[in-house]
Amino acid sequence: MSIKMTRRKFLQTTSLAAASIPLAKVVSAETGFAPNKFTAPGSAVATETVTGGVCEMCFWRCNVVGKVRDKKLVKLEGNPKGIDNGTAICARGNAGIKLLYDPDRLKYPMKNIGERGNPKWKRITWEEALDECATKLKAVETKYGAHGIAMFPHGASAKYPMEYLENVIGTHNVSEASFFQCRGLRDTGYMATFGTPPGENVDMANAKVIFLVGDHLGENVHVSHLKRYLKGLENGAKLVVLDPRYSASAAKSDIWVQIKPGTDTAFMLAVMNYLLEKDKYDKKFVGERCVGFEKFKKGISHASLDWAAKICDVPVEQIQEVADLLAANAPNVSIHPGRHVSWHGNDFQRMRAQGCLTALLGAIGVPGGFVKPKGPKVKGIGWPKGEHSGEHNLRLMADKHHYSPPGTPTDLIREACLTGKPYPIKACVIWGQNPMQTIPNQQKTIDALKQMDFVMCVDVMPTDITMYADILLPEASYLERYDYIKTGTQWNFADPHQQFIAPRMPLVEAMFERKDQVWITNELATRMGYADKIPVKSLEEKIDKELATVNLSLEQIRKEDGIHLQPGKDPYGVAEDFEVLLYNEDLEDSGYPGVPTYIPVEETPKGFARLVYGRSPVHTFNRSQNNVWLNHEMPVNPVWVNDDVANKLGLQDGDEVSLVNSEGVVSSATSIIKSTPGIRKDTIYIAHGYGSRNPMMTAGFKKGIDDQELITKLAVDPETGCHGMRNNFVKIVKNGKTLDISA
Amino acid sequence: MQYGMIIDLNRCIGCHACAIACKAEWDVPADKGRNWVHRLGPAKTPEGLASTYYPGLCNHCNQPACVDVCPADTVEKTFTDGKTGQTKTMQVAATYKDPFNGTVQIDQDRCLGCGACADACPYSARYVNKDIVNEEIGGEGIADKCTYCMPRVEKGLQPACVQTCLANARIFGDLDDPDSEVSQYVKKGAVGLTSTAVSIGPNSRYYGNKKDMHLLTSTSTPTGMPAASLRRSLLARLKPEMKKVKNLGMLGLAGAVVLKELSEDEGK
Repeated sequence: MSIKMTRRKFLQTTSLAAASIPLAKVVSAETGFAPNKFTAPGSAVATETVTGGVCEMCFWRCNVVGKVRDKKLVKLEGNPKGIDNGTAICARGNAGIKLLYDPDRLKYPMKNIGERGNPKWKRITWEEALDECATKLKAVETKYGAHGIAMFPHGASAKYPMEYLENVIGTHNVSEASFFQCRGLRDTGYMATFGTPPGENVDMANAKVIFLVGDHLGENVHVSHLKRYLKGLENGAKLVVLDPRYSASAAKSDIWVQIKPGTDTAFMLAVMNYLLEKDKYDKKFVGERCVGFEKFKKGISHASLDWAAKICDVPVEQIQEVADLLAANAPNVSIHPGRHVSWHGNDFQRMRAQGCLTALLGAIGVPGGFVKPKGPKVKGIGWPKGEHSGEHNLRLMADKHHYSPPGTPTDLIREACLTGKPYPIKACVIWGQNPMQTIPNQQKTIDALKQMDFVMCVDVMPTDITMYADILLPEASYLERYDYIKTGTQWNFADPHQQFIAPRMPLVEAMFERKDQVWITNELATRMGYADKIPVKSLEEKIDKELATVNLSLEQIRKEDGIHLQPGKDPYGVAEDFEVLLYNEDLEDSGYPGVPTYIPVEETPKGFARLVYGRSPVHTFNRSQNNVWLNHEMPVNPVWVNDDVANKLGLQDGDEVSLVNSEGVVSSATSIIKSTPGIRKDTIYIAHGYGSRNPMMTAGFKKGIDDQELITKLAVDPETGCHGMRNNFVKIVKNGKTLDISA
Repeated sequence: MQYGMIIDLNRCIGCHACAIACKAEWDVPADKGRNWVHRLGPAKTPEGLASTYYPGLCNHCNQPACVDVCPADTVEKTFTDGKTGQTKTMQVAATYKDPFNGTVQIDQDRCLGCGACADACPYSARYVNKDIVNEEIGGEGIADKCTYCMPRVEKGLQPACVQTCLANARIFGDLDDPDSEVSQYVKKGAVGLTSTAVSIGPNSRYYGNKKDMHLLTSTSTPTGMPAASLRRSLLARLKPEMKKVKNLGMLGLAGAVVLKELSEDEGK
């Protein structure tokens, strides 16, 4: 075959200027590869299959294998041995190789010789970088104490350094976006109801009704999770979706409740009150398992269908229809716990309401209900827990947020940074998280970072937050390192019970000077005087030791094609001591409602619409913006606006617009109008994870609108300290003209 | 035998995994697609509010519009039936419809990269990959499109898009076999995207509820065949000449003027 890769293509992927060098002899500074003689594509020919991959394009972590040719990963596929995702992986999983070989990826340690937010990068050696990080962190630790250091971690690689900071150095000031801007309040809300965090574990595959509160499964993609959902629909489950928008799930629903944003709790209270009034609840389950029934009944007795219909702006009949449908199919009802649930600052109560509704239907431990799979337990090996008091714990000091998830609520940290009270925080370690696009009110984050003595970031990609680093360290990606042991069961709980254990193993070697988290953290610990505390010498050793706790080893897992399977346990049934706190006395003692309560959200000001955001199936949070394949699938995030509203404003599909919020913040980038009957008139929707402002992201830079930029008004959930992020209001700006939405 | 693909919109959740798996499998340029997903709606239909997807790919049509327009010189090619071993010899240009499995394929070794086939497809299922060139022939790239993953299928694998689909929304098989799952879907009412003007026997077919199918067919069915591109086919015919003469002057004045005009046109 005489087909060749063109010089143009190679130049395109390398931005190589020296045109006089023979092409075949040049190893690209950007990609690390010399151009090969053209090989016909096709992963099934002349490739080696490398097993043991565990995806981390998102947190779901599917089992994958790599197709490798000439040491280059050419394709990722689901591991056919898997009982979770099987051969399926999602768009993002498939696009993993474009993260791996992204020419914009961080390659070398770099020092910022410009200013924070407006960086100029100078390549330095690891020796220089580690010396500087350790010296600066040590200086802050010495001068201000361990609590002078804050950390924003995300992902599997951040766990080891996080434990180092928490357990060894001893700071409480760690804030995970996955808790405080996402699911933390779900976990503590359910714990205050069921005594256990729910995960996404609900047996949709075997349900007769699936009830989604704002979940937009389909736009929000996790493979085995969606397999359960689709299996349920295939088996004839009725689908009820509460959403102001005709989401991917609403489009498959039997009942779409076009609810006013923020009022879901009122809806559920009315459903529960109706079930009690009409004797349509599971009396046996409630009698045997539920605590505080009388107080609960009294506490929600005001929640009539009429009351909720007004608040939620939906027909009375529809609430009754949903309640009757749930009751008629109880207990085989999946009330989905949700995932990103920090919406309005009243969300802990919504989680409590969901839990109580699940209990009234007896939908716990039964097919189709709330069912926790019984997976294998593998013991973690990590940093020893030192003796650290709660003396500098900001949450305890403030005596607030008594149902906070682990770590410290983000705004307590940020406030301390900004005010120096109750103590200064002067160093920040950011590992795999992009707080600029996860935490509301970006200006506050910028101000908090600017007053630091030292900021270090570790990541695979440049992001909006890495622009604020003094030292920026390049990390090996999930495809290039050992890490995280994925465990679980067969995806359909009704199938024969099986368990799996699958540690992450590298599919290819790390290129350039990228290093993994154990190496980086150990080097820092050594330089900071904590060498004696180091628990493992390498990530490989850590995983092997963890596997040894279940009599396995990496060698054994390799023999088993990356996944160890073993007999499982029946997940159905309810533990003897399981109880549901319909009324929770401890909550009331701490000053919160003991019975699930609807706390009204701020009304939308005249001329504005409420900004609601959600997921795009091709992006994970803000992490995949620069992935050229994913970027091409949905280059911008269309602004959903009700078609009647759009017509009045003279807006048409495809019009280029920006958004301005009620506090005057205008989006830095633009997007396009999507005029549709599938959204309420008082709501505007965009997908999250667009509009990066880091020019080092050549594909994602200023593509689409960053919703986080417009979320300036803070709402903090009182019980948990988590951020509610759907309390901001926007207008549309076209051709420099701001359009009044109620006009 | 006629390979075909069913896309079950009742199952599809619009995740785009098919599109990306295809890109990875065949090293498709980032801005092109053999395989695509367009989100449709939410929009009003006579059957109610609907929102669905158009997961598109080559239809491997019964009367493909792309085959006859190929300007490459024809050669004799012998096809073999994978099942019976039976052979058939035909004259084919650089693209052809396989007489045994019904797929439409491209001989990339002989493709001029002129793009005439891409222009001719009413479904825009073809593109010219400018990242690869055929050095012996010259040209500006090579036409490419979905092959129904024949190199994978021949090894007993599923097409890449089918293998990765978490929803089992894509079903691949033989439409000529009445017992195949794809044939069962056709019996249930799976249809290709055809109109009065575009009725060329597409073998990628869609199945779904009334409102989703209404939305799909009303927005995504081609309503006319593309006009043949004179410019493209002229350019294609000139290119091999260029290669042979290796000197623009030898084309003669008229030839050079035409070529210059065409190149300028191309640049616009």
